Amino acid sequence: MEVLTSLGHGFAVAFAPLNLFWCFVGVFLGTVVGVLPGLGPAATIAMLLPLTFSMPPTTAVIMLAGIYYGAKYGGSTTAILLNVPGESASVVTCLDGYQMARKGRAGAALGIAAISSFIAGTVGVIGLMLLAPPLAKFGLSFSSPEYFALMAMGLAMVVLLAGASMVKALLAMLVGLWIASMGIDLFSDASRFTFGQSELLDGVDFVIVAIGVFALGEVFGNMEKRGEGTMLPVPKGLRNLLPTMAELKACRFAFLNGSIIGFIIGVLPGAGSTVASFISYGIEKAVSKHPEKFGTGVPEGVAAPEGANNSETGGAMVPLLTLGIPGSGTTAILLAAFILWGLRPGPLMIQDNPELFWGLIASMYVGNIMLLVLNLPLIPLFAQILKLREYFLYPIIFGISIVGVYSVSGSLFDCWLLAVFGLLGYVMRRLDYPSAPLILGLVLGDSMERALRQSLMMSQGDLGILVSRPISAVMLLLTIALLFLPLFRKANAWRIKAIEENG
Amino acid sequence: MAQAKWMKGDVVSGAVLAALGVYIVSEAWRWDYSTAEGPGPGFFPLWYGIAMVVLSLVLVLSSAFSATAGKTTDWGGIGRALTVWAAFALAIVLMKLIGFLTALALLTLFVVAVLYGRPLKVALAAAIGNAAGFYLVFGLALQLDLPAGPLGF
Amino acid sequence: MKLRSSMVIAACAAALAAAPAWAQFKPTKPVEFIVHTGPGGGADVLARFIAQVVEKENLAPVRFQVNNKSGGGGLTAMAYVAEKKGDTHAIAVFTGNWLTNPLTRAEAKYTVKDMTPVARLVLEPALVAVKGDAPYKTLKDFIEAAKKAPGTMKQSGGSITSRDNVVRQLLMKESGSSWAYISFPGGGERIAALLGGHVNMMVVEPQEAGEHIKAGNMRVIAQVSDKRLAGFPNVPTIKEAGYDIPNVPQVRGIVMPAGVAPDVLAYYEDLFLRITKTATWRKYLEEQQFEDGYMKSAELTKFFDVYSDQMRGILKEAGAKVVR
Repeated sequence: MEVLTSLGHGFAVAFAPLNLFWCFVGVFLGTVVGVLPGLGPAATIAMLLPLTFSMPPTTAVIMLAGIYYGAKYGGSTTAILLNVPGESASVVTCLDGYQMARKGRAGAALGIAAISSFIAGTVGVIGLMLLAPPLAKFGLSFSSPEYFALMAMGLAMVVLLAGASMVKALLAMLVGLWIASMGIDLFSDASRFTFGQSELLDGVDFVIVAIGVFALGEVFGNMEKRGEGTMLPVPKGLRNLLPTMAELKACRFAFLNGSIIGFIIGVLPGAGSTVASFISYGIEKAVSKHPEKFGTGVPEGVAAPEGANNSETGGAMVPLLTLGIPGSGTTAILLAAFILWGLRPGPLMIQDNPELFWGLIASMYVGNIMLLVLNLPLIPLFAQILKLREYFLYPIIFGISIVGVYSVSGSLFDCWLLAVFGLLGYVMRRLDYPSAPLILGLVLGDSMERALRQSLMMSQGDLGILVSRPISAVMLLLTIALLFLPLFRKANAWRIKAIEENG
Repeated sequence: MAQAKWMKGDVVSGAVLAALGVYIVSEAWRWDYSTAEGPGPGFFPLWYGIAMVVLSLVLVLSSAFSATAGKTTDWGGIGRALTVWAAFALAIVLMKLIGFLTALALLTLFVVAVLYGRPLKVALAAAIGNAAGFYLVFGLALQLDLPAGPLGF
Repeated sequence: MKLRSSMVIAACAAALAAAPAWAQFKPTKPVEFIVHTGPGGGADVLARFIAQVVEKENLAPVRFQVNNKSGGGGLTAMAYVAEKKGDTHAIAVFTGNWLTNPLTRAEAKYTVKDMTPVARLVLEPALVAVKGDAPYKTLKDFIEAAKKAPGTMKQSGGSITSRDNVVRQLLMKESGSSWAYISFPGGGERIAALLGGHVNMMVVEPQEAGEHIKAGNMRVIAQVSDKRLAGFPNVPTIKEAGYDIPNVPQVRGIVMPAGVAPDVLAYYEDLFLRITKTATWRKYLEEQQFEDGYMKSAELTKFFDVYSDQMRGILKEAGAKVVR
């Protein structure tokens, strides 16, 4: 009851014309920077920060948070249409989203991404509103062994992402692990696999690999033939621009799965939205009745990761607002902004600044609705880009890829790396190596190695620490179950075959 | 026929990965496997390096001795794709000297006119249009700092 | 003839001597303000704040434009500044990392010796903190506990070259105790590890810890500072707590490319002196709980040498490979 009263006050704040206006500006800008690869929400917030000093703090927070969750909506657009992940978490959306687009269902994929983002974004805010303090405690109970188990579980998803050859999928994952360990080792300050290049000391940015392997690899592959038409079939008519009822129905579980997984992983300061989207995709595939269709353009394969990516925002707000602990680059700059205004997120924030806390929550409900209303009509507009002939579209993809990489670090070295990974992506495609496991290894490798070494430092070398803690033990059991899933499926297929043959 | 078998993509890529695995293991060997504080920088790479060597040998052996012949290779298509890649890489090298927009325009010109054999007029229009579009969206609207050439763009 | 040429030389010499008086440098286009972190990092926030002060208080005729050259653990930005030799419209924020990283990284092509020191601006003190319900009330309690059960106590921190670890090494050597050091990449994760009870102690910046202290989740047992901070009058410094170790300041300031004329340096030196005199700056220092560490170029040059020597010794003892 108390929550409802507080929320009522919150809505009063959020509906103040000034706040409503800046909320819209925030989600609009967020959508724009989300659609365009490279310029991420963190950079946008940093650039707009000075502008907000003349605003009341609550208004400013509402706007900047709008950029943060708005960017997540936009990230799927280029992933679906061009196989260019607009931000790191949309890599998983490429897997089925781009394949849907290849089947002429680009509009449907965009629609599902928007609807899933809306549902999960809203669920994330509900979770933030009702569960913030207890969940913050839960997040703190996660120590290095639990993070190791979580990352191991994520890495075991490779068995779900493998195509025809499990060996090739595992090899791609190992290459990902190798790329992940490039740079300075946090624990010893030793530099690993840098080839004497100072540019490699911070490792290879994930965006470079993702754009190179996914987008450029695809374009180089397509250009083997001089196609005269468009790259993808253009969706025609309103019917093809929107998801069908059957597609939405297929996504029922994915909406829920993405919302819950994304929120829980968002609460953990050491994980992040890319991990969340991979895991919810894996779960979706593991429980699916037709797992073999994943990767060929199934709507659940878009709904789950997009949902996880968006409800992660609500989750990440939990440690940020109640503990003052940022879990990602974007929340770190939000925290810096809070401090510059003299607001101190932390255990006392809800009591000391109810107007800000509840106003922000109410504005996130409003913002999510705005984003849905803003994004659905944009779908036909964005789908227009598919009308371009191949030879016009490819140079645009090249340009977007270069800008996307260059704007992250301002380094030409990174652009050369982009060319290298583009070639790698093409070669992998040519030789039937799946690219998703490579990205999986790259995303999780670093965190997994770190968590393992932290755990063993804490236990003075005793591996028992990984299984003596209940949460981590359960997750490791799930990991093992996941690894044996393909064998089980194979056995099951044989059994069914045998029954059919006998009966 | 025997030669074609050994030239199969899986065999070659498996061999390359095995070499990479050996390189990773040899590098990891030089770093501490464990330190007084706990596992060292060589701990993790050593294990995934070994896994890479083992798995790539499995791939090489299983495909070298498998009976199925590889698909026929479309060398013309591969040549086209590699040409595009080379043009892309060259554009990135040129970017430092002549600026992003000019390099992008040249790349566009090459793709449209040479690879797709469109008339020069069309190619020029595409090149200028593409560069102008990127300038409007990223340079002007978003104020991104892109590499500029001697003429300031 | 001879007389005339010597007159010309004299005239030239006079002109040269007088030059600084009339050729007073003023920036004519936006000044590039280089930082080695991405948007939102510590150096980035400081640079954007300074840019804002300059604009608001009208201290310079041009804008200061922040340019994030992240990557390479800071070395990318250092190389970028060093390679701008002679550029009069570029300045950069330096931090302690700019001094320590080249010591341990063979990949570093440049050090701060390849730049012009402009001004030192702030010193960031730190606090030694434990969990709010931990049994340790003083630094001595913690160290005695570590002595009793060697290897069981843990501290969360950043990389082994960070100040967190330097303070630990100095304390362990001084007291003859030892405890583990668990590295975490982000400040948030370090605090989460302490609050979750997974480690026993951490070195934390006052503004990061403020709310946790107020809420009783964190207890400060000592300060890493020469004198007590205004916000913590009752907490002893490490020296006062009975451990005589040198203070390890976290430092931030401004450098610019090498090879600039003295009048250019004088301009920026003076500009930063004026910035530090503004009320906005004073308020910022107070809010962030920073110490005013203003130093002019000449003093800063000496500071760089002293600091590098001190860190070289400490890092060697900490077991890091020192390459220069």
